[in-house]
Amino acid sequence: MDAECTQLIIEALKEEEIDLFVTLPEEPTASLTRAVQADPYFTCVAVASEGSGIALCAGASIGGRRNVFVTGVAGLLMGGLALTHMGPQYGIPVFILASYRGDIGDRSGISGSKLQVFRQVGEPFLQALRLPYRVVDQRSTLKRTIVDAHFSCRTSDIPVVLLLTGEVLW
Amino acid sequence: MRHSEAMQLVSTFITDEMLTVTNLTTNARMWSALRGERPSFYGLNMGLCLPFAVGLSLAFPKRRVFALDGDGSLIIETSALITAADVSPPNLLAIVFDNGVYSDMAETATTRRTDLEKMAQGAGIQRTATVRTPEELGSAVEQALASGEFAFLVAKVERDRQIPFRGDYIARSERGMKEAFVDALRRLPDYGSWR
Repeated sequence: MDAECTQLIIEALKEEEIDLFVTLPEEPTASLTRAVQADPYFTCVAVASEGSGIALCAGASIGGRRNVFVTGVAGLLMGGLALTHMGPQYGIPVFILASYRGDIGDRSGISGSKLQVFRQVGEPFLQALRLPYRVVDQRSTLKRTIVDAHFSCRTSDIPVVLLLTGEVLW
Repeated sequence: MRHSEAMQLVSTFITDEMLTVTNLTTNARMWSALRGERPSFYGLNMGLCLPFAVGLSLAFPKRRVFALDGDGSLIIETSALITAADVSPPNLLAIVFDNGVYSDMAETATTRRTDLEKMAQGAGIQRTATVRTPEELGSAVEQALASGEFAFLVAKVERDRQIPFRGDYIARSERGMKEAFVDALRRLPDYGSWR
């Protein structure tokens, strides 16, 4: 993720008064995590597992603290149980930015066939949970989409996922 | 000490100003019977209770939060100990009621070699204790509350043969339980003012 997209995301998070940034650090969003850690506006929590991250965000959300969980598609799958409970079961808003590993253009160096698994499984998984999600691949729409998605997340009481790819990520 | 006895004792420390979340089955049913219609967040699934409570603690930094977890639940997601240690919310007290069984099924690893307190220490949690009697439990909770630090207690308990079946956890749907809890949180003067 380049500096411009990192800045756009930070601006959007601040516009939405999201000051709790939760992540299990991963390579495609590492620059975003570093920038957030250096910004005193944010409380940054690096969790040890994706399930913990999603549960932590859910606990903060019902307490009224705005937050974002930053992960990858693999992280969504790892946190599947937590996402299932916080979404379809309880209806708790959890706002998630996920790097869309395996999408067209992913040059992250992992073997292509491994990445294909994430592309094949990621969106069907979100569809199975009936969670709203959108693929964001244009920097021109990035900020607006984050603001809109977070609005829908907190007003609809449901997790919302933005899959970051294209010029936003690679 | 029996599980219900330990839960009853812990309940005497928890006022209506404090927030409580539980894992599912035994703890949820016991706590629900003790709480009646007063809101708590009941029945978080395996491994989700402790990290959920960490998040709630971050939303209410000036309010005491209790996580009432079980050995089976924590064992499935022990990395939550690392996250909890990393954040160490000073307003969070986590109590694991370790009865050595998965609900009414098979034994957990704590009946064999696993020591949850040592795992918590290894994860980096500073204030920990394992207690086996009501006196030890009462004293440990008292000290934890007075310390103003994140604390993690393992209460070794004997399984109760009969688990109560009443209170909010039983009376409401899970969505209804959540809504009642959220409504109660929104009425708190410090809701949304974590800064």
